[in-house]
Amino acid sequence: MREVTLSELSRLDAAAGEADEVFQMDEDAFRLFYERTARPVWAYLARMTGDARQADDLLQEAYYRLLRAKTTYDTDAHRRNYLFRIATNLVHDMRRRRHVDAVPISDELEHADPRQSDAATHAARRVDLSRAMARLKPRERELLWLAYAQGSSHQEIAATLRLKTSSIKALLFRARQRLATVLRERES
Amino acid sequence: MSRQTSGHSACAHEQDIVDLVVGGRLDERDDTLRAHAAECRACAETLELARLLHDDHKALCEGAPVPSAGAVWWRATIRARAEAARTAGQPITLLQGIAAATAIGLFVALVGAWWRSLAPDGIWLERFDELLSRSASVPVPLVLSLLLVLAACLIVAPIAVYLATADDR
Repeated sequence: MREVTLSELSRLDAAAGEADEVFQMDEDAFRLFYERTARPVWAYLARMTGDARQADDLLQEAYYRLLRAKTTYDTDAHRRNYLFRIATNLVHDMRRRRHVDAVPISDELEHADPRQSDAATHAARRVDLSRAMARLKPRERELLWLAYAQGSSHQEIAATLRLKTSSIKALLFRARQRLATVLRERES
Repeated sequence: MSRQTSGHSACAHEQDIVDLVVGGRLDERDDTLRAHAAECRACAETLELARLLHDDHKALCEGAPVPSAGAVWWRATIRARAEAARTAGQPITLLQGIAAATAIGLFVALVGAWWRSLAPDGIWLERFDELLSRSASVPVPLVLSLLLVLAACLIVAPIAVYLATADDR
């Protein structure tokens, strides 16, 4: 690893004020926003990439890009939608760089106690779901997750995925049918 | 009400079902929607999938190993500072490159001028043999030292430019 020179350190200090200015929110506002959104964003990234470590990396990157974005937000919901849009783009970029398909990240079955039948059933259902989701197209996964897991409205989904609001209903309907079919196939 | 009560058509109540699940109000008594979901295949399918996905979402959120807000903020600040420093350093690097290129050009021009002074009529190629013989009259140590300086410049200049720009890569 390369050592940092004194000139670099002085340059970093000189640029410190500049860096703080380029962030779109102050630290307190960021903390509040982060506490509300970090877990859902991580869950979204984890399910879309199928990789918990990738989700960790992309989470940091998503918040960095949000902080550096020049966008002005009317509401907190707008900022949240924008964050999910960044997260979606990051997953798409990652998929383009190297072919990644969502694979189950869960090891729930390994951790589930077989004596606790409810927990085992629940874990098995989650594994089935993650494997079924892995067989869907990325866009279908995103639609279903945003709509049914997070409960986003059609307007919010359209804003996040850059689609027309009027097309969400039909796309969601088809995605839902695909997931139901894949799950039925797995059950049979 | 659904246009067709089959899994192959949309129903106007689907969003209400999703809201019920996401809002955590599934356990509350809502006979109207429950009764409807029991009859409508689209809503039954929506209910089942929404429960499955929302439960998965809840479980993932509960176990999400997210770093603290402070850590994320700190890393972002450090990265922004580094990027700002890199951006600020770019014009300097460019100037250093231009200065190095200018110095090399000047040196080559001086060497060229000196060379021409040995053959003022400009047809030095034709008189190469003559030049060689004339250079033989120049003291050997002087020629050798000039050649060494030229070679050193040619070797050192690219390394100097590389070192000057390497920090900002």
